[in-house]
Amino acid sequence: MAIGRKIGVFICHCGGNISDYVDVKAVAEAVANEPGVVVSKNHMFTCSDAAQQEMIDDIQGLELDGLVIASCSPKLHMFTFRDMAERGGINKYQYVHVNLREQCSWAHTNDKTGATEKGIALVRAGIAKASLSVPLTALRVDTIPKVLVIGAGISGLRGALALSDMGLSVFIAEKEKDAGGTVKNWGRMAPDDQHGSEIVKNLLDEVKRRDNIMLYTDAEMIAKSGYIGDFKVTLRVGEHDSVELQVGAMLIATGFDSYEPQQGEFGYGLDGVVTLPQFRDFADQQDGELTYNGKPVKNVAFVYCVGSRQKKTEACPEPNQYCSRYCCNAGTHMAVCLEDRPGDLNQYHLYRDIRTYGHNETIYEEARTRGAVFMRYQDTEAPTVADTADGLVVTVKDQLMGGEEVEIQADLVVLITGMVPKKNETLMNLLKLPVSKDGFLNELHIKLRPVETVIDGVFLAGSAQSPKTMAESVGASLAAVSKAGGLLMKGFVDLEPLIARVDTDKCLWCDECLKACPYGAIEKIHHGEKEVAFVVKSLCKGEGACVPICPHDALDVEGYTDQQITAMIDACSKEVVPA
Amino acid sequence: MSRVSSKLASAVKCSDTFNADACMHCGVCTAVCPMGIEMLPRKLFRYVQVGLEDKVRENISTIYQCLLCGMCAENCPAEVNIADNVRFLRKYINENEFNLS
Ligand SMILES: Cc1cc2nc3c(=O)[nH]c(=O)nc-3n(C[C@H](O)[C@H](O)[C@H](O)COP(=O)(O)OP(=O)(O)OC[C@H]3O[C@@H](n4cnc5c(N)ncnc54)[C@H](O)[C@@H]3O)c2cc1C
Ligand code: SF4
Ligand code: SF4
Ligand code: SF4
Ligand code: SF4
Repeated sequence: MAIGRKIGVFICHCGGNISDYVDVKAVAEAVANEPGVVVSKNHMFTCSDAAQQEMIDDIQGLELDGLVIASCSPKLHMFTFRDMAERGGINKYQYVHVNLREQCSWAHTNDKTGATEKGIALVRAGIAKASLSVPLTALRVDTIPKVLVIGAGISGLRGALALSDMGLSVFIAEKEKDAGGTVKNWGRMAPDDQHGSEIVKNLLDEVKRRDNIMLYTDAEMIAKSGYIGDFKVTLRVGEHDSVELQVGAMLIATGFDSYEPQQGEFGYGLDGVVTLPQFRDFADQQDGELTYNGKPVKNVAFVYCVGSRQKKTEACPEPNQYCSRYCCNAGTHMAVCLEDRPGDLNQYHLYRDIRTYGHNETIYEEARTRGAVFMRYQDTEAPTVADTADGLVVTVKDQLMGGEEVEIQADLVVLITGMVPKKNETLMNLLKLPVSKDGFLNELHIKLRPVETVIDGVFLAGSAQSPKTMAESVGASLAAVSKAGGLLMKGFVDLEPLIARVDTDKCLWCDECLKACPYGAIEKIHHGEKEVAFVVKSLCKGEGACVPICPHDALDVEGYTDQQITAMIDACSKEVVPA
Repeated sequence: MSRVSSKLASAVKCSDTFNADACMHCGVCTAVCPMGIEMLPRKLFRYVQVGLEDKVRENISTIYQCLLCGMCAENCPAEVNIADNVRFLRKYINENEFNLS
């Protein structure tokens, strides 16, 4: 099988990380006579500049056409060695990475003989794969310098302006008749007291001034095709119109929904029990003394953590376990806003824990010193709200009184509801974006790739990804802008060629692969007389769901062909099953 | 079970004297009190802060036992002005319970 191949094998000590537990010299010797191998060596640190130069010299001097490096995890150095292979002049996809550290030496620190045997088997498998490798070229696609922003809350609007600053054309699609999102009609917002309505108005005015931004309201995506750099999108606009757009990237700035309490949850449903968003909707429109249904409000009770940090119980089989982040800030800030109003209003804030991180802590302090009373309750003994002859009565066990029960007669009970994932069935069906355990849109990596998604070219902007304050939402949106901008300003994108391919002779179009593909990368095409499957290269992720499904063995993933995998297994089991 | 009184709650809020918001319930005041008044001041202040008038009424004799010596305030790590708070309470009781003004 390896006739005429010239493969170089390089086995790393990793200082002692590998060589302390695997006899790396024995491994190099054991594989030196494998078919196709022309050189087999050890290096103290394969990734060092000196070792890389030596390998480049071998690639060129021995005219290698395949490379196996047995070292650390590919997560660490696969790209290092791919680049090195290219500098040496061989195709980077003819380089095979064997993980001898995480998957061998570190896993078997108590058995050097066994680890060495396993190391030999792993390297043999790598050689078998390299000897069947073929040169592959990355797929270069041109990118369209336009972006679609879905959602015109502060995240979407601020993101659109930043994209426009980069010289990219922007389309914004907003589902509602009015742009601006959650805060568009509200007054003072934490932490700096700027009005929500004013922030939104300023953003919208600026958006309207830009020639390269087009804002569609009452608009929703109804069809999508294409791929990174070149998406084709249809928007429904108003009742009857639609527009077709071609964009290179998308920002998902669809925000969140507020938790809707169940009937009876903290008295929800009773007259005078409202959520914080409902409260802001009427209170922010009033000047002077606070009134509810025309009557002055003297006593208000706020209940925190409603719909957040829930525990699994019979009544709550699918709890929202996360903290909604914004709400302690919003609740304590609202306390200060109420203190600023005329009238002698008493306010009681029933909380589980106060999480006013950063400079919101000073707002909490101001609320307390100005007379808002904070009472801590335990989640196992939550406050109750009852409708009595005296009006609404909230009963709470105050932790600071050692759990003594206190009744508060309240004119108004405000439930500080958390953020929940936006309901967006149409959009989710079109985009096929995965969601996290909490139901929010999932990022690719929680720390290192917080705004990218599994769909290349689709980025998460703001609270659609997880509960966030305004500053955090805008920060996330601008991160998404920098990813989209970085992609589109270059003008092209190179895609991994390690994707599925169809053997048109074997394929009989049964559509099994189409059903199996999670990325919609399979299409039906005509091929001569018959119909066959076709892989849209820019959509295929190469994860191979289609391959084992095909009843006619017509599919393979480049770089991981059935032939290569079989050869690897054979090589691994050489001693067990003599050839 | 006791119910919050708007009257006391408002009086506490409007007062410049009463302030127990910084109290962290450490108990130092109780430990140093020469009268050995067990519940003064932290628990009492909590009742007052929340506006539990009936609890205040139940503890009138305790409130008048205090010597206003200031040991507690001297030692309070949160700098709660305990003696002033007791003065405020006595004034409130004088006015509302004993109808003195
Ligand atoms: C009661 C309350 C008080 C708050 N107080 C504060 C505060 O004081 N300070 C602070 O920093 N933060 C506060 N927040 C948080 C703040 O509201 C959010 O951080 C902010 O609104 C997030 O902006 P966004 O653009 O990501 O989402 P949103 O404001 O929710 O905007 C999302 C937009 O996308 C649109 N959309 C959704 N789906 C689609 C679709 N399929 N197609 C087209 N458009 C779509 C929506 O209609 C909406 O216009 C508060 C939140 C609440 C609920
Ligand atoms: S290539 Fe990996 S295993 Fe080898 S020296 Fe570098 S870090 Fe260590
Ligand atoms: S921010 Fe505060 S109110 Fe909101 S869920 Fe977290 S702890 Fe509860
Ligand atoms: S599963 Fe196989 S035979 Fe069926 S359409 Fe796909 S490639 Fe063709
Ligand atoms: S010493 Fe001060 S902080 Fe400690 S319990 Fe007494 S009043 Fe509160």
